[in-house]
Amino acid sequence: MNDSGTATSRVIGVRHHRREVCVTVAVWTAAMSVIGLLIWILTDIAVRGLAEIDFGFLISDMQNAGREGGIGPIILSTGLILLVCLVVSIPLSFGTAIALTERIGQETGFACNVRRSLDVLAGVPSIVFGLFGNAFFAITLGLGYSILSGGLTLACMVLPILIRTSEQALRAVPAEYQYAAAALGMKRTTILFRVVLPVAMPALAAGVVLSIGRALAETAALLFTSGYVARSPESLLDSGRSLSVHIYDLAMNVPGGGARAYATACVLVALLLMINLATAFLLRMTGVRHRSTTGGTC
Amino acid sequence: MKYFLSMSFVLLCLTLAGCTSSPSTNSNSNELSGQLTLTGSSTVAPLAAEIAKRFERQHSKVRIDVQTGGSGKGIADVRRGVADIGMASRRLASDETDLTAHQIAADGVGLIVHQSNSIAELSPDQIIAIYTDKSNNWQDVGGDDKKITVVHKAEGRATLEVFLKHFGIDNPSVKSDVIVGENEHAIKTVAGTEGAIGYVSIGTAEADIESGVPIRLLPLDGVEAKTVNVASGAFPMSRPLNLVTADPSSQLAMEFIQFCQSADVHDLVKSQYFVPITKGSDIAK
Repeated sequence: MNDSGTATSRVIGVRHHRREVCVTVAVWTAAMSVIGLLIWILTDIAVRGLAEIDFGFLISDMQNAGREGGIGPIILSTGLILLVCLVVSIPLSFGTAIALTERIGQETGFACNVRRSLDVLAGVPSIVFGLFGNAFFAITLGLGYSILSGGLTLACMVLPILIRTSEQALRAVPAEYQYAAAALGMKRTTILFRVVLPVAMPALAAGVVLSIGRALAETAALLFTSGYVARSPESLLDSGRSLSVHIYDLAMNVPGGGARAYATACVLVALLLMINLATAFLLRMTGVRHRSTTGGTC
Repeated sequence: MKYFLSMSFVLLCLTLAGCTSSPSTNSNSNELSGQLTLTGSSTVAPLAAEIAKRFERQHSKVRIDVQTGGSGKGIADVRRGVADIGMASRRLASDETDLTAHQIAADGVGLIVHQSNSIAELSPDQIIAIYTDKSNNWQDVGGDDKKITVVHKAEGRATLEVFLKHFGIDNPSVKSDVIVGENEHAIKTVAGTEGAIGYVSIGTAEADIESGVPIRLLPLDGVEAKTVNVASGAFPMSRPLNLVTADPSSQLAMEFIQFCQSADVHDLVKSQYFVPITKGSDIAK
């Protein structure tokens, strides 16, 4: 009786142990394969693309549909599109985030509706933003295929992520700071600018950096808005090709453009990696590494 | 000093203007100015962009923006007046007769085999059988006893689309032995494998045959696979690359289309692996 009892518990123990090992192995395999996938992609792009890159490639004009020459104007256009996007989206996002955290009661219907619409916006595929941007900015507002249309479309696209991260950043500021400031007789606006925003600034910057990553990677929304022209833009109303659109075009439409597509991908990935490292660095500085971006109580 | 510099700059400009206008027979060509927007086929866009660059170099006041989005978008944009010129890599459909197509080049795809292959011509059914792995030996289609090595293109290649569409094959049903990317790669593979068959852009294949690469272009439906036949539209597996305009189009648009159709851009057309079309006498070129 006693013997059989210990035998059963030993069997259970062995079974538990086996299950532990299985789960551990499975979890580790999953994690390793994610890292492996990243390394594979990066190596693949680097091996195929790095040989094509030199300083001339980064600054010179495109020749022969991209098979020769460089990507200078394309880098410039990408920068300008990003600039328009950030100039528009940052004030809007910070404003909305401040309204959501400071001025509107968190549980009110209005705040819930704003959050819900942001979640819907975040789930909209980028090609839909592209079609909207083409119909609204390019045609209805008459901006045509231009860097301005592209930047504004991207701004619409990054709004949800930027507002959500900003809201989290502001909410993470300890309430005691605000109480203390209020106890000292500071006005709400003064508290906002002197206490809340400076404390939240590193996390706000991290959100901006995340949005830049999203915007840089975008192809579908830009194809129909900022366009395809690979000339150096002279104004924001000129059409300008972004790095991602250039990669798409070289890979899909230009026979013999493969090597250059990989080289451009190298440049884009290098930019994205730098931005990701910057995010990690900022997040570490603020000590908010693992904060979720879903937040909100609705 | 500043005055002197600006004066000399003005003089330089005048001299340059004089230089450019004097050899030109068309008196108003150096007064062209304005902006053109082209949208449409992503196959035509790289060629149109290269031609536009050359046109802009000749007419400094002209700006030509080339956008993509597909042939359908090009046609829709011309109709709505969003674009001055549309690009379409196909013939206009019967419900698009309100627009005018101006062909600037042709894209022809021909089947190639090794030079030593004794086969004279393959029927469409035989080609489909070879590409779907139903025929695996040249004996099955009237040739020597040799295994068929099927050379196929990677997903996304324009020649692949033309080939599949012409024969009505789904890409997943193709059973190939070798998958290649570029035309040159396909030609090298066929030249190095005696039992191989592949399909490439006819312009590229002709250039390589002239330079002594041991391949042969097979006729299709009795029509020889030659750039001349592609240019004339007689070769079945081809498509025209068109610029599309709505009827009252601007003088600048017409000038640009004429430039696209002129012999001045044939090198650009060939460098994009398309076949230049030639009007009238010099069609043999």
